[in-house]
Amino acid sequence: MTSINPDKIVLDEEMQARNLDNSPIDLLEQIRQEGRCWEDLAPKWGVDNPEPPWKIWLEATCEVLADRNCALPALERRWEEDDLSEELYRDVPFPERQLLALAHLMIRRGLIDEKELAARTKIVEKRLHMAD
Amino acid sequence: MSDDHKHAPMVDEVSEFEILEIAVRELAIEKGLFTQEDHNKWTEYMHTLGPLPAARLVAKAWLDPEFKKLAVEDGVKASLEVGIDWIRTMPTQFGTPSDYCSFRVMEDTPTLKHVVVCTLCSCYPRPILGQSPEWYRTPNYRRRLVRWPRQVLSEFGLQLPEDVEVRVVDSNQKSRFIVLPVRPEGTEGWNEDQLTEIVTRDCLIGVAVPKPGKTANDPRPVRKALKPYDH
Repeated sequence: MTSINPDKIVLDEEMQARNLDNSPIDLLEQIRQEGRCWEDLAPKWGVDNPEPPWKIWLEATCEVLADRNCALPALERRWEEDDLSEELYRDVPFPERQLLALAHLMIRRGLIDEKELAARTKIVEKRLHMAD
Repeated sequence: MSDDHKHAPMVDEVSEFEILEIAVRELAIEKGLFTQEDHNKWTEYMHTLGPLPAARLVAKAWLDPEFKKLAVEDGVKASLEVGIDWIRTMPTQFGTPSDYCSFRVMEDTPTLKHVVVCTLCSCYPRPILGQSPEWYRTPNYRRRLVRWPRQVLSEFGLQLPEDVEVRVVDSNQKSRFIVLPVRPEGTEGWNEDQLTEIVTRDCLIGVAVPKPGKTANDPRPVRKALKPYDH
């Protein structure tokens, strides 16, 4: 018989005690519902890479957030990502789900602001489309 | 350049998720959560990662009993032979919050099968094995493997005889593992490159065993937990 890792039990208790706000965020809900995922885009364009090019930047963002200033500890991020992935974003494919969870928990933790993020997405969208 | 030159296919369409990733990153940099330079270092480092060094380590161990002994006794030292320096090649030069570790090579025998998990989050021996697959990160795999290892392994297509003991090794922030599988029959006389080809990522995690002619991982449907636990 294998027992559950005691560190996992402690972490679960600590994180559950925080009562994290898992309610939907308007901006991210819109992207969840309307966003085009890699698993649809790749076959449409005949690309066989299993992951979108931006995934490596997302992974780097996660790492660097836990590095040096430790704005977002890796263990807490992964716990919250699991929690959001099983509830709010369960119907979203990976790694889009990972990205939505990261943005969600950064907003809820006050690391970034939803309105600022919404404004920034518009700026980025305009910039990328100008490059077309 | 020849007119016949063909570019690799690419997605010529900007997705909402691509935009979101850039927006999150730019805002985080503006707010001083990290610098562009630090992000670039991590990105460059991640581009270097993959499962090949771990596969080569196993192939070397199969061919050289002395190296096998070293790998099992001191995984960090043995890793140097395949170009992986666990301590000095990380972007931070001293490992990362989730990567600096003792690295261990778990040797299978005909009656003992190891399989790797991280019940806490998704700790993984990235320096030598690359990024973890999605299924390795899922609570489904992490919760169920420690309780019903034979059932989970059978879902990966690996049915083990009753007389084979299954040992689950749980990774954490300090300790990472790969599996040194039993060298399969039919590989007598193979050289290191040939052997390296059949040591797939899944073999190194322990959810598959190497077979001559099999050089890729199977697709893994992510199943929902049949017996989820309450935490």
